[in-house]
Amino acid sequence: MVPYLLILPGLAWILFFFLVPLLSLVATSLQKRAGTSLSEGFVPALQFSNYTSALGEYFPQFIRAFLYAGIATALALVIAYPIAYYIAFKATKYKYLMLVLVIAPFFASFLLRTNAWKTILSADGFVVETLNALSLLPEDRILNTSVAVIFGLTYNFLPFMILPLYASLDRIDPRLVEAASDLYASPATGFWRVVWPLSMPGVLGGVVLTFIPASGDYINAQLLGSTNDKMIGNVIQAQFIVLRDYPIASALSAMFMFVLLIIIVAYIRRVGTRQLV
Amino acid sequence: MAADLNLQRLTREFGEHTAVDHIDLIVPQGTFFALLGPSGCGKTTTLRMVAGLEEPTSGHIRLGDRDITDLPAYRRPVNTVFQNYALFPHLDVFDNVAFGLKRRKVADVKKKVSEMLELVELGKMADRKPGQLSGGQQQRVAVARALINEPAVLLLDEPLGALDLKLRRQMQIELKRIQIEVGTTFVHVTHDQEEAMSMADTVAVMNLGKIEQMGDPISVYEHPKTAFVANFLGQANLLKGDIVGEENDHLVVDVHGVKFSVPRSEAPVHDGRIVIGVRPEKITVVDPGVTTLPKNQVAATVIDSSFIGVSTQYLVESPWGQPMIAFEQNRDPTDVARPGDPVLLGWEPRHTFGLDPDEDLKAGLQESVPAL
Amino acid sequence: MTEEKRKDLSKLPPELRPFLSRRAFLAAAGVTSAAAVAAACGARTSTDVATPVDAEITTEAATGTVVWSNWTLYIDVDDAGAYPTLDKFVAAESIDVDYIEDYNDNNEFWAKMLPLLQSGQPTGRDIVSPTDWMAARWISNNYTEELDKANIPNEANLIDALRNPGFDPGRKFSLPWQSGYGGLGWNKAKLKEAIGTEDMTSVDQLFDPRLKGKIVLLTELRDTVGVVMAWQGADPTDFTTDQFMEAIDFLQTQVDNGQIQQFMGNDYAVGLENGDITAVIGWSGDLVQLGEDFGFALPETKGNLWTDNLLIPVGAANKAGAERVMNWYYDPAIAAELAAYVNYISPVKGAEVEAAAIDPALAENPLIFPTAADLEKTFIFMSLTPEQEDEYNAVWQKLLGN
Repeated sequence: MVPYLLILPGLAWILFFFLVPLLSLVATSLQKRAGTSLSEGFVPALQFSNYTSALGEYFPQFIRAFLYAGIATALALVIAYPIAYYIAFKATKYKYLMLVLVIAPFFASFLLRTNAWKTILSADGFVVETLNALSLLPEDRILNTSVAVIFGLTYNFLPFMILPLYASLDRIDPRLVEAASDLYASPATGFWRVVWPLSMPGVLGGVVLTFIPASGDYINAQLLGSTNDKMIGNVIQAQFIVLRDYPIASALSAMFMFVLLIIIVAYIRRVGTRQLV
Repeated sequence: MAADLNLQRLTREFGEHTAVDHIDLIVPQGTFFALLGPSGCGKTTTLRMVAGLEEPTSGHIRLGDRDITDLPAYRRPVNTVFQNYALFPHLDVFDNVAFGLKRRKVADVKKKVSEMLELVELGKMADRKPGQLSGGQQQRVAVARALINEPAVLLLDEPLGALDLKLRRQMQIELKRIQIEVGTTFVHVTHDQEEAMSMADTVAVMNLGKIEQMGDPISVYEHPKTAFVANFLGQANLLKGDIVGEENDHLVVDVHGVKFSVPRSEAPVHDGRIVIGVRPEKITVVDPGVTTLPKNQVAATVIDSSFIGVSTQYLVESPWGQPMIAFEQNRDPTDVARPGDPVLLGWEPRHTFGLDPDEDLKAGLQESVPAL
Repeated sequence: MTEEKRKDLSKLPPELRPFLSRRAFLAAAGVTSAAAVAAACGARTSTDVATPVDAEITTEAATGTVVWSNWTLYIDVDDAGAYPTLDKFVAAESIDVDYIEDYNDNNEFWAKMLPLLQSGQPTGRDIVSPTDWMAARWISNNYTEELDKANIPNEANLIDALRNPGFDPGRKFSLPWQSGYGGLGWNKAKLKEAIGTEDMTSVDQLFDPRLKGKIVLLTELRDTVGVVMAWQGADPTDFTTDQFMEAIDFLQTQVDNGQIQQFMGNDYAVGLENGDITAVIGWSGDLVQLGEDFGFALPETKGNLWTDNLLIPVGAANKAGAERVMNWYYDPAIAAELAAYVNYISPVKGAEVEAAAIDPALAENPLIFPTAADLEKTFIFMSLTPEQEDEYNAVWQKLLGN
């Protein structure tokens, strides 16, 4: 009996901080307008058309959210892996210093960091001038393009990728790498056959931890993107704060959570069962 | 073709510290070779340089007439059994053993792996993950994984260190059997002198990055050339004295007024000061007055005696106050001397060896593994 | 003095600059770090030099603390981070003021207050500072207290142009804090490079193809759509839905053809400085702060005159104290000191004369003390019904990509 009682605090936590808000969200998403204007508020109803109209109206932003977040997550993985690998295997003496450096940007406000990139990526800045000199920019600029948004997402959520990867790589016995090389595996083969599969839990964790906040983000699209780069987070945000159309905003949020859940579960099932020890 | 392993002036420095100091060594093809020494003596570093996992600071490694010094590990025809095995935890036993074959795109992987698993008696474990195996089984997988590649040299880095005593003895026999069966050169790194002596054809004792002495186990044990070897490989009584004369190819050595004979051929010096030594099991312990003793004799007082089954070990004090040890075979346990008893120690001059007078008598004492 | 202040601002790194002016930082972003960056807070009880002003007026004792939510950096700040004009008030009237810079955005603040107002709970504020159209929403919902003019004798100094706004004729519920223009702003060097002139006078210039991808418009509906509608020949003080939609349609074509780079809150200032943006529909105060290399003008076809207002939320704990604060800032000398710092239009008669005493150039700046002719070139955006508000906001957000 006692063991069951011990899960009560956990249950209460889930109930109050997850289930109740979720139900409230779903209930709100089905409300209808009380009068002719939004300021007159809403009444409880079962207006499922909120979902269809919201999806019909904002389908592009939905797709964009998952597309941008997906690209950003892939980029983050490619960038984070060597960093995490280096910290785990090579940076013996400076390991903790480097970990602190990875986390350090978190001490500055998310908004401030993103705004700083506006300066770095500005037209007269070094980055854009260099890329333009090489004729690599189709629009002559980075700011207010999808490139900037994806870049911002990648940058801002990079630590979420690095830390789980590091945790996972750090647990790998370096002698396994030596064993692979002793057994005729070139460094590249040794990596793919030994390090990569053993780091799968970190890859999985990093991808999930990066993709979820990136797909729901709106700050990067707001600050670094054009009107054609807005993501579903921007729409939900505008619906909640500016338009105050709570049912539509709730319907969008609920759909977003649902789709995200499907993507994550599908991903974990595919990658998780195949590679995890 | 002869594929002897040949180390030439091989050196490895870590900053100020020289881990391996200009080693010259030839391991003939097909031998079981043991590198023996205390931890930190450079034996593992030597092994890792042969494997290609550590880069030499200078010197060369040859295999037959081929210089492999600059070959990366994955191109060298040598394989390693790692300390704690380093099995791939995400692969099952079959895939662990097949790893090297698959990298080299060898045909008939399945058949070869099955045969190898039979050799190490793990045929039924092919689909287990390493985490599901016992220590001894993991050890066999590690051996199989390396051996299946038919390396020119198999390197074993303290392969039995993680096993308990009984299993260790069993695996020693097993490893020896496998080595004889496949005929591969084994280079075995260990700090356990019994393990080294029981398995190896040749033992090299390493200390401070250098090889102190090398040879077959019996000659190294019987004729240590340094105090370190004498102390590290088994136990020894080392006595400092002066050469006072010669008779019949023997030197007469005076140790605090007691005269001992040591074969001239066993002595590195022939006049002045010298250190002589004798192993405790060579010493006969008798009551004072017994006259049927070997030529080298000294009276002593028993400090401690311990009966350990196969023998009785005595700790005695010589007339000049130096503690000595002597083992007496347990043929007749009724007349064990007690602490305080006066006794007479005796041993054959031919069992006496001589060492350089500048030797540190305590060298190798701290590091040696007590005889079991 | 003003020059010094401006220089201080320009010393700040550009990425911090957007936090510095008062207008909607990150319109609708719903983030509070702007306040953190501004790093100013809390109760003012410092005993600065007291200058007794209009001592002849006394009413029922107003004591306690006044809680005031205002936009960031919308008041004079000295090097020590104190607010001189506010400190003088505290010393003179023995009323504490808790000045909070948490009014980041009209919509966001409204969203925060609305549940409290609807359920009849106190908002915890004695003064809030909404822009005209949002002030209209507060007043039409009866969420404000009527002002007791006996406590605000200086209200007589309110300029005539702002005495009778559509949402509050006779200023029974609200008093202007500062006003400003929504008009044309530009980077002089970049403009010259692109179209060969350093001056803008017309909205036509904004949509010159040579500025493709180099213009940014405000996310504030009234500024951007108002200016465009006026340019198209409609009257922003009285327009039809068709006229509104015509402006939106035009803007959509300019988004689609890449003429418009983005819609922004006042962070466009960074872009102007960095050279990312050549011209904007922006706010006068921002461009004044940016300095000599940047220009601001009301378009020939008129610009938007907006006002931020002080009003007292219903059920405020210290209404009398709030009224004394309002009265204080309608003293011309105080108003001049404030205007010298914030660079927006002062609604107080006589402030110009006082400002001349501080710095003659300040009094001559038409963007701070406009002439009647300047005001001729402005409109005040029409009041919207709740239904219009919903409809226009929805198409507007759609245009912004949200």
